[in-house]
Amino acid sequence: MILITGASRGLGRAIAERLSAAGRGVLGLARQPQDLPFESMACDVASADAVKAVAQALKRRGEPVEALINAAGIASMNLALTTPAAVAQRIIETNLLGTIYCCQQFAPLIIRRKTGTIVNFSTIAVALGLKGESVYAASKAGVEGFSRAFAREMADFGVTVNCIAPGPIATDLIKGVPSASIDRIVAQQIIPRQQTADAVCDLVDLLLDARSASLSGQVLHVGGA
Amino acid sequence: MSATALTLDPATLEARVYAAIHALTEDPFITVDATTPLIGDGRIVDSMKLVELCLALEDIATEAGFDFDWTSEAAMSRSRGMFRTAGALAASFVEQSKAA
Repeated sequence: MILITGASRGLGRAIAERLSAAGRGVLGLARQPQDLPFESMACDVASADAVKAVAQALKRRGEPVEALINAAGIASMNLALTTPAAVAQRIIETNLLGTIYCCQQFAPLIIRRKTGTIVNFSTIAVALGLKGESVYAASKAGVEGFSRAFAREMADFGVTVNCIAPGPIATDLIKGVPSASIDRIVAQQIIPRQQTADAVCDLVDLLLDARSASLSGQVLHVGGA
Repeated sequence: MSATALTLDPATLEARVYAAIHALTEDPFITVDATTPLIGDGRIVDSMKLVELCLALEDIATEAGFDFDWTSEAAMSRSRGMFRTAGALAASFVEQSKAA
């Protein structure tokens, strides 16, 4: 079974649908997982207790967990000076702490197999230090730092931990961002073309493949940065 | 407690904890008793082995029909936590079995 957070929309949804269509066992986690075309459970990753409850339920099921894709994330494109404290807190709780909670609670299910894959999500905003995304970039920079250190902790158990850091992908996350801003960011990528959710799914496929077993602690930029 | 769970008395559970610790040390001559440290100075298992120990205890708990929680704040506390010593771990394990 592959666990995917943020599975109700955006990249999490795209990844879950891709893997499900390929016949992989998928369990999508989302705050509101109604009417998803794959198995799902309600879970707010920003709540350590909620994540722990899901982990306990999965433990009782006894089904092997082969991978965790931490795609849940939120953004608020604002200058740091105009970002309310509550918004900043929610971004850190969901993006950074949510990733940490899921790794803490679900990794014990994965390491029993002595092999497995964890994929966390960062952003091009970290590498480029994008104006107007400072809090979001801070949360994702934390994810990158966590992932690199956690990769070392998981290496002894045969589990790889990597980050995918996409540029702007057309999902709900960047719905309100003006197209001129998107174009400016895309122009700074190594491949100056806006990438798609499919490209991200391809990279997830690659990381799930046994031939990626030598790759851990890395940040992979979709589009290049 | 699950209907198919074995009934394991506290003394048996305690003995299973000590046996699980001993098995992970890979040293047949080492003595594991209540005062044996699991973290900090003099610990007999490294952090990786400690995780393996927790997974082994999860299995024993499942066998006995309860969930073993090793990720709570109380569990992780260096001064008061259940990983201080083998005895503290065994006591917490038995306590969790009773609470189930």
